Amino acid sequence: MIRSEHSIVHYDFQRMIVRPDRLRRGTDADYVAAAKQMLRVYRDGIGDPRQVLHGRIETCLNRLFGCPPRRIAAFCKLLDDQSEYLSNRKAALQLRRRVFDFAADRHPIVEHREGIFDHDANQVRSELAKELGRTWPEIEADLFSDVLELQRLKAFRSEWTPQQLLSAYNVAQTQAALYRATRVRIDATDDLKTIVRHAKLAGLMHRIDLISSAEQPRYRFIFDGPQSSLRQSTRYGVRFAALAAKLLACRGWHLTAEILGPRKQRFRMELSPADGLSAALSAPDAFDSSLEAEVDAAWQKAPVEGWTWQRESLLLVRGQTVMTPDFALHHRHRGILVYVEVVGFWTPEYLEEKCRRLQQFAGITPCGGHAGDTVKWLLIVSGKIEPDLRQGLADLQLPMVSFDTSASPQAWIDAIG
Amino acid sequence: MNVADKPRPSIDFHQGTVRLFGLSPRFVEKAFAEIPLAWDDREDCFRGDAMHADAIRRGLDHSLAGGFDWRVGRDAGAAEFRALSIKDLRQVTLRDDQQQAVEAFETGGRRGLIVMPTGTGKTVVAIELMIRNRRSTLIVVPVRDLMYQWHAKILEATGIDAGLIGDGVHRVSPISVTTYDSAAIHMPRIGDRFQLIIFDEVHHLAGPWRSDAARMSIAAHRLGLTATLPGDDERMTRLHELVGPTLYQQSIAEASGASLADYSVHRIAVRLTDDEQHRYREHAQQIQKFVFEQKTIDPKFKWEDTYALSAATEEEPDRARDAVIAMRAFRLKRQIEEHADAKLRMLEDLFRLHCDESIIVFTGSNVMARKISTRFLVPCLLSHCGKKERRQWLEGFAEGRYRVLVANRVLDEGVDLPEVKTAIVLGGLSSQRQAIQRLGRVLRKGRGGRRAKLYEVVVEDTREVKRSRDRRRNEAYRQKR
Repeated sequence: MIRSEHSIVHYDFQRMIVRPDRLRRGTDADYVAAAKQMLRVYRDGIGDPRQVLHGRIETCLNRLFGCPPRRIAAFCKLLDDQSEYLSNRKAALQLRRRVFDFAADRHPIVEHREGIFDHDANQVRSELAKELGRTWPEIEADLFSDVLELQRLKAFRSEWTPQQLLSAYNVAQTQAALYRATRVRIDATDDLKTIVRHAKLAGLMHRIDLISSAEQPRYRFIFDGPQSSLRQSTRYGVRFAALAAKLLACRGWHLTAEILGPRKQRFRMELSPADGLSAALSAPDAFDSSLEAEVDAAWQKAPVEGWTWQRESLLLVRGQTVMTPDFALHHRHRGILVYVEVVGFWTPEYLEEKCRRLQQFAGITPCGGHAGDTVKWLLIVSGKIEPDLRQGLADLQLPMVSFDTSASPQAWIDAIG
Repeated sequence: MNVADKPRPSIDFHQGTVRLFGLSPRFVEKAFAEIPLAWDDREDCFRGDAMHADAIRRGLDHSLAGGFDWRVGRDAGAAEFRALSIKDLRQVTLRDDQQQAVEAFETGGRRGLIVMPTGTGKTVVAIELMIRNRRSTLIVVPVRDLMYQWHAKILEATGIDAGLIGDGVHRVSPISVTTYDSAAIHMPRIGDRFQLIIFDEVHHLAGPWRSDAARMSIAAHRLGLTATLPGDDERMTRLHELVGPTLYQQSIAEASGASLADYSVHRIAVRLTDDEQHRYREHAQQIQKFVFEQKTIDPKFKWEDTYALSAATEEEPDRARDAVIAMRAFRLKRQIEEHADAKLRMLEDLFRLHCDESIIVFTGSNVMARKISTRFLVPCLLSHCGKKERRQWLEGFAEGRYRVLVANRVLDEGVDLPEVKTAIVLGGLSSQRQAIQRLGRVLRKGRGGRRAKLYEVVVEDTREVKRSRDRRRNEAYRQKR
């Protein structure tokens, strides 16, 4: 991620909209060649100090019409993030100590000797070089080699193409615009579990509502932090930025961020897959486990008439805790909604935690929608779980079937009762 | 809704806020009229900043007489919330002014600001209060050097190896030291662990981010130390709200002579070389032309708007490009001022003149500090220096092994230097606070009582001369000339 001081945003004061800086195929075509040069600067720059590399990047981009300094700094940061720099602090400190100790008795060291107590700079340098067994230019070059801007490039491991570098820039600027966000709203139909998981990992709080219960349920997530109920705070901006990066790999979402702009005015920023930003991550895995995939395949092979089967399409919300049943079975005419939870075998602790969560959510209705439906549960349990370990699940008194390769979805429906 | 109908109220700490469960809106409105609390429908509770925890506790004690569960602070028997046993190993006697500051804090409700010039022993006052208070204490300082310095002073005064939070260390203990930025980052997790919070150089407690360091702490006792209070009312109001009122104030005029060394200020103007002068004028003209053109387009245009304009690549690409060019010229112009050859020549002369004295040189940038260090082979203290390296140069300087120490802003505030009688300022900014803090470094009263000297080396015919004049307008410079 780039730093906030590298952020470039365009404020539309008419529509109160924020647009992060974005390089586009047509208008910014020149940047492809510049990106190629920038990558070459780093690939050919092994051994060069960071400030020299940054200077070269500046030269590359200064050739382009009106490239702002923040854009240059942002590219340097992105390229640095892909790099490894040498920093032998211990060696540099040792060198400094030897040099300053050597010179301590020779103070003042002057270019033009006037008094009898002065020491000639050139003479001191050559004595020092002799003492350390290195030339003065070498000593000078290494004296502060641990300082950030003077560290030398050790490796540049990125396989980025020029287009990928530009794409990374666009994503980074979008994330940086979110540093000023006070609240984020995401409307989503897919990958709900992934969104919730990453919001939790980012330490955000939520409000969740079902806003459309049509064929494909659509949820509205509002994310912010504890302090948000007291004041508009950009404290959680970096967390929104982290979440946005994960979101790019998901499908079926639309993000609207409230941004605190100049003079504390409130702006809006919109983002969706239509923006075409590339995710650094691959799309979320289709299934959490192979057992889940097998259960899904078993249903797809022999679906039961009258029932619809959807994966992770519903959210159960209890305060700041959310559960996403693995599958939902729905019979519209009979008005039955079944949460299907697949229980594989991991460890006794896993089973214990699963039981605790199921107990916590067993009485919860989905947020919005399905108001008139009778809600039931079905546990599809791996046949590999030992009978004594199943006891905790049995104690929940929820319909339970054992899963094996000959499993029949009709038997599942029968088990629901 | 009646309070009696609800479950037993409970209050806990949650990421820098306090949550109040089981209280009706009517009760909250009545009992906490003065405290900003908001209903949080995400968790069905009232929520407020952690800094109000003590007032909430008192309100509940008054209204509910113990009929509530107080889960704020790890005070369910946690060591840091019992009276700490702090040994007093000090061998110092507080001066009258320090004693007055201590009393002002104690009689002022243990919440507020103490304003004393640099070098008058604010740390002594704070340690005295910490020892008297005998409660868990967090000290918040602006830079890492100060963090280690406080750690050393606490160790010396009490024998306590205080916790450190910052500079890659996260060791929280009942007496801990941290930086403002680390405090703002970690307060959601550690804000319930300290009863006394001390803000060293409290004027750094500005802006929403750093203010969180105060807001998110439940500490009932709050002390802010500074040499200079902020000039504007808005920031003062903020400090009063986050820490407390000004309880004790001593001006530099009162302190001078009593606890500060006598000093004099010498401004030395140096000239640019012909080549530097030529390049300087070229850049200056380029900037003037840019400002003139922008004012023609927009009469309200100010130079300060240039940075924002440089990013307006979509809305006004031509103006944005011109802004980029002007900014580059400005940067090069400043570099000429900052790195003028004549400054190094002047330094050479001053080092000769004071060759048997310890001298500290302040620069306006890290680059210049390193340049001087490399040119004269003297140690420099920069923000990159690790703890060990800082101590090494400071100790060597204190012992007189190194005659010169070069520093950028890192030593602007609070970092103790031993008996420095001569300081040289090269370049730097014109802010009043920075000037006072820098002077503070040479004003420390040492043995012998000889007049301290501050040299200010500026480049003639440049903006540096104006910045120097600005600096001289403040009280510290006006004192002795």
